[in-house]
Amino acid sequence: MTARWSRERLAGLVVLLGFALFPVWSTQPYWVYTLTAGFYYALLAASWSLLVGYIGRISFAHAALGGLGAYVSVLAVTLAGLPVGAGVLAGVLATGLVGLGIGWLCLRLHGAYLGLTTIAFAEIMRIAITAEYELTRGSLGLRAPELLPGAGTTAYYYTFLAALLASLALMWLLLRSRIGLFFQAIREDEDGAASLGVRVTLWKVAAFAVSSAFAGLAGALYVHFVQLVAPSMMSLRESAFILTMAVIGGFQNIVYAALGGVFLWVVLESLRDIGDWRLTIFGVIAILILRYAPDGLFGALAERLARRRWRK
Amino acid sequence: MSLTDLTGQLVNGLVISVFYALTALGLSLIFGVLRIVNFAHGELYMMGGFAYYVVASLLGVPPAAAVLVASAGVFLLGALLERLLIRPVYEGKVDRPDEYAIMITFALSVLLQSLMLSVFGPWSKRPEPIFRGRVELGALIISGDRLAAALVGALVIVGMVLVLHYTRAGKAVRAVSQDREAAEILGVDVRLVGMLAFGIGAALAGAAGALMGPVFNVTPTMGIIPVIKAYVIVVLGGLGSLRGAILGALILGEVEVLAMVLIPDTTRALAYKDAYGLALLVLVLLLRPQGLFGTEGRRA
Repeated sequence: MTARWSRERLAGLVVLLGFALFPVWSTQPYWVYTLTAGFYYALLAASWSLLVGYIGRISFAHAALGGLGAYVSVLAVTLAGLPVGAGVLAGVLATGLVGLGIGWLCLRLHGAYLGLTTIAFAEIMRIAITAEYELTRGSLGLRAPELLPGAGTTAYYYTFLAALLASLALMWLLLRSRIGLFFQAIREDEDGAASLGVRVTLWKVAAFAVSSAFAGLAGALYVHFVQLVAPSMMSLRESAFILTMAVIGGFQNIVYAALGGVFLWVVLESLRDIGDWRLTIFGVIAILILRYAPDGLFGALAERLARRRWRK
Repeated sequence: MSLTDLTGQLVNGLVISVFYALTALGLSLIFGVLRIVNFAHGELYMMGGFAYYVVASLLGVPPAAAVLVASAGVFLLGALLERLLIRPVYEGKVDRPDEYAIMITFALSVLLQSLMLSVFGPWSKRPEPIFRGRVELGALIISGDRLAAALVGALVIVGMVLVLHYTRAGKAVRAVSQDREAAEILGVDVRLVGMLAFGIGAALAGAAGALMGPVFNVTPTMGIIPVIKAYVIVVLGGLGSLRGAILGALILGEVEVLAMVLIPDTTRALAYKDAYGLALLVLVLLLRPQGLFGTEGRRA
């Protein structure tokens, strides 16, 4: 057991060091920029995995929630004159509250019904933000003020990496506590968990709120980096994209899902030449993984690492 | 608003309802038999549109025959997808069947969209409609392509209802959707019925796409809005209920055109048009999850 852990930890450390040193080693700002955007998707995929992988509640609203956090933040800065950091915080709180509301309303819903309801909520949010053009300029989108005025790509890279790592650490602390066990108990057998005294209602709503808040954080940070917010980032296609990333990485583990987000984004960017075929290929890969390797690419990789040591 | 305008809007609503019903019927049929919501249903509709475009515009087959060929093609695609991706759920080959079915159909929708985008590009195609020109009923003028497509669509729906009620295969489908185990005990091949139901459901969506393609353009993203309407309709009518799907489609089609006319600020009314149905979906799921005609007691 100790051998397995040390081996996995070593791999984790190498990955972490790789990310930490990448801007030092890389001479191309383009890839630093691409990875920074990749961290946005990583955080979205991780927040989605927190909900789907651990407590077993599906959501197709995460792209829309990210967009909502982004709009709240941008409007808080441009209309209310808050500093950007406070705007981001407002975005996180707002999406957390909306997630709390959705989670509470959808308490009785499961599986496909929950999927349909979250699609409805996601589309209502997107439609409302597009429709209120006096406030949001509709589908044209809004200019978002910079998070780090005048800073270069490298500064953004480390800020995003730090935000991602801090978020993952918070999620991990939550999941390894008793609460994480409650989540898994609810996922495996809700009625059974309730009969053993797990406060099912509380934890289901809390999971939705926390997961939404992290999606809001991702969206809010991202738009202050790319300096534009538009309703297109809230589309169902984006949610499908998050699902694909988490599934390919391994949606039953927040870290694998996050790695899936960065990995897929970087590969997509490097395959720009083949245009839309890359999404077709990744669609096929996602389906194959769901069917034959539900632990995902990184889940399977970690498993292999652990097994090789064992056989020796 | 004059009476003619009102009648015109009602007829428009009726025409739209037929297309909604075609898509929703397939979704409900699939849910009834397989107990899964096919999140790739809009993309099957889109595949119908592209199949029609290929057969009618590129191969030059006459429109009416092209609709048939396109529907048959999507039927085969649906049956194949069921065999490859959905059947494992019933053979106990996946860990968490509920989540698997949702995620795999959602992933499939992205795949099909991207595939068509890769093959045909994002530009919209406008294949030849079944009938061109205008139809005048007294003071009422309706564009012919829509009316003809709606008539064909209504025929398909009536035909489907007859097949489901009076043929052996149709009865088997209904039996499985009422009680899977009992049907299996009585000798129904539930696997075959599952494949058949998914194929027929897909073909209905494909037929709707083939009929609507010439009216609203064929694009890789053409399925997104119709499928969201179909979600609203099947939830409203009760998932798995065919009667509910048809009635739900009529309600949604009429509500949408009337809501458009009744709201003064046109820009906003237009923008919010698609949101009413979604709000309806949320309300129904929260207050009466079994819908208008669904069986009670099912855990949502």
